[in-house]
Amino acid sequence: MATVPETIPYGEVRRDLWRPLSGASSRYLITLLLLSSVAFWGLCAWGYQLYKGIGVAGIHRPVFWGFYLVNFVFWIGISHAGTLISAILRLTDANWRKPVTRAAEAITVFALMIGGMFPIIHLGRAWLFYWLFPYPNSRLLWPNFRSPLLWDVTAISTYLTGSTIYLFLPLIPDIAQLKEHATGWRRRLYGALSLGWTGSDRQWHALERAMKLMAAIILAVAVSVHTVVAWDFSMSIAPMWHSSIFGPYFVVGAIFSGIAALIIVMAIIRKAMHLEQYLTAHHFKNLAKLLLLMSLLWLYFTVAENLTAWYGNEPKEMIVFGSRVRGGFAPYFWVMVFCNFVVPFVLLGIKRLRTIRTAIIASITVIIGMWLERFLIIIPTLSFGRLPAAWGNYAPSWVEISISIATFAGMGVLYMLFAKLFPIVSVWEFEPHVGPED
Amino acid sequence: MNDTNQTPHRWGMAIDLDRCTGCQACVAACHAENNLPVSDPASAAKGRAVHWIRVDRYYEGEFPNVRVKYMPVLCQQCDEAPCEPVCPVYATYKNPEGLNVQVYNRCVGTRYCANNCPYSVRFFNWFDPVWAAPLGLQHNPDVSIRMGGVMEKCTFCIQRIKRAETEAKNEKRRVADGEVQPACVQSCPAEAMVFGDLNDPESKVSRMAGSGRSTRLLEELGTQPKVFYLQRAT
Amino acid sequence: MNVFFAGDFLLQKAAVRALADLKANGFTPADITVFSDEPIEFPRNVLYRPSHMSLGVVIGAITFSLLVIGFVYFTQYSYPIVTGGMPIFSFWATGVVFYELTMLGAIVCTFFWFLRESGLPRRGRRLPVPSVEPGIICVRVECTPDQADAARRSLESAGAENVRTIGEAR
Repeated sequence: MATVPETIPYGEVRRDLWRPLSGASSRYLITLLLLSSVAFWGLCAWGYQLYKGIGVAGIHRPVFWGFYLVNFVFWIGISHAGTLISAILRLTDANWRKPVTRAAEAITVFALMIGGMFPIIHLGRAWLFYWLFPYPNSRLLWPNFRSPLLWDVTAISTYLTGSTIYLFLPLIPDIAQLKEHATGWRRRLYGALSLGWTGSDRQWHALERAMKLMAAIILAVAVSVHTVVAWDFSMSIAPMWHSSIFGPYFVVGAIFSGIAALIIVMAIIRKAMHLEQYLTAHHFKNLAKLLLLMSLLWLYFTVAENLTAWYGNEPKEMIVFGSRVRGGFAPYFWVMVFCNFVVPFVLLGIKRLRTIRTAIIASITVIIGMWLERFLIIIPTLSFGRLPAAWGNYAPSWVEISISIATFAGMGVLYMLFAKLFPIVSVWEFEPHVGPED
Repeated sequence: MNDTNQTPHRWGMAIDLDRCTGCQACVAACHAENNLPVSDPASAAKGRAVHWIRVDRYYEGEFPNVRVKYMPVLCQQCDEAPCEPVCPVYATYKNPEGLNVQVYNRCVGTRYCANNCPYSVRFFNWFDPVWAAPLGLQHNPDVSIRMGGVMEKCTFCIQRIKRAETEAKNEKRRVADGEVQPACVQSCPAEAMVFGDLNDPESKVSRMAGSGRSTRLLEELGTQPKVFYLQRAT
Repeated sequence: MNVFFAGDFLLQKAAVRALADLKANGFTPADITVFSDEPIEFPRNVLYRPSHMSLGVVIGAITFSLLVIGFVYFTQYSYPIVTGGMPIFSFWATGVVFYELTMLGAIVCTFFWFLRESGLPRRGRRLPVPSVEPGIICVRVECTPDQADAARRSLESAGAENVRTIGEAR
């Protein structure tokens, strides 16, 4: 089915998609200011933490990893939005993805940038984070490549590089078009970024070939990235962490939360930039169907993980399991199941209820549920270690909460700036088709 | 290797649970010897207290027939330590004498090692340590002060081991059995703790480790700890 | 001094005809460039530009992979530190690093091969670029003055909207 924008004249398409780039409404500026303040507050909280010591966070023995690691896994998970939409849908030639790809890829890049900050934020001596990178030094020391944290470093660096290139490449033709119609500093910026793109067939073919290769490579990298993040936990022998299901579980959870984030972002830009004709109910319904599918997959993995733990009845694991399902963490656990499965299943499974609004509601609950899932993976296991003498409870401090909220604000700031500089919907993919038989 | 017959030492410890009274003299001695940070009640309540050796209590039976098993738990100096391979910067590794050493100035504070230790014997410096006067005057000059952001744990009093080895090397002899005593071993009034060279079959610790009562903590995990607990015979 | 003609076409079929005509008149793909605001898929025999990007990327990735394996091997053995019973160099423990950096090699290779094949950023001879309206396919031919007539005829006979001479090469 042809999506509506292909019947809109090209001049109008370009005007609609370029309109947000010029000028800034007061609503935009106020929102940007608000989000920047929250992000700045988070930065100050981090500065306070660097100054005073990481003890200002609520973590303590035995819960050595808390909110920061939860956020780390959460944001790396969100970054899989682009993977699914851009890579998988591009490889399967699903044309409905076209208005959505750039928004998704932008989410990926910014989520990775934010998520990649957390391994530095959570360090005890964060100013020495560069010791995790291999460089020749007077100590003759190299990092320990056998450590899963080093795997994290390589995986996230690779994914960030790949996503940035994957975002940049299809942006080039749009930037070149923008340059033609821009003035002043914008013209200089676009001129530099467009690399002199002229739209010759050589350039187009090179771009298409590169995009095809990148889609396949990015897909392979994305699957491995979140598997590696999962292996931070499953390579450990802590009870209920040492599980082989973590790799696929995390990848599925990541794509799940990524789609939810994408739906929310799309809803916001659709409203704020008046793109109702470009991001139609058709797009939301397709994404909603994907969200429903991932919800079922998530349920499958959750049941598999918990059933095997319960049936195995290993004493140390059962303590952690009991705390999650019946004990102190039970409220969070069941809220998570409700948010991740019940709400999407009801709202999106029943065809009559599947609308843009319910897709947004389901996505918000999925975001909450997936954050809770990361929390429930990390904290209960650490609270109930193998020796009961060392059990302990965890409560976040204001520093951790501030930084966590600030990351959402920071994401908003980055996204708003991006959408102001570049068209958030890919313009050249809306070109009037000059088909072979015209 | 500072002896005549070149066999490296392999330091281990044996703790006789039949003798342990749970007096926690070992805990106090360790604090004094190793410049451990002192926590105030608020931090201790938040789980920030640092005790390289702690005495775990296991209550058995119902009142009035309750028995308590006291178990001093310290770093087990595992041969296949799960804390070592996960450190991204090599801040913890096994030295040639079998000790699991923590390199304070290399630690960046990822705390993965602490998560992976099944015995929960690793402690983190959440802040720079502060000693209320006059405790600061009591520091042991042989042991470095750890700054905030650095992981620490029991070292088997490596400073005492090194001192004994240096003296033995200067005197061109091997370290004698019982010559090296970590602070906890030295201070135990019940003489429940024994420290020595596991590579020496004649040493007291080797004989105790070979006893029928000898077990190791969480042995099923395959960490190969070098602290042997002799279970109660009575 | 070479001259440049630009012919605008509305229909892809017409553009294909022009390209076939130009090819018949002895013009090579190096002389011809097609400008458009979106990618056009031409039949293979009309405008053949062989690309070795896939092969190049695969080879680049494998090369990078071998370099990384060698690097990790060298660094782990240059200062051997025993950790937890694991061998000094463990292929499987470091396998993830190899995989990720192989992929990074592929990504970087793809990007630089793209730059190479597309000719971006522009450097060297600055050929004149015709301005192209959306929906138009513009065929630019570079030819010597004595080929000019043949080029213009090919473009016009295929049904170009207009054929114009555009600026000199710089």
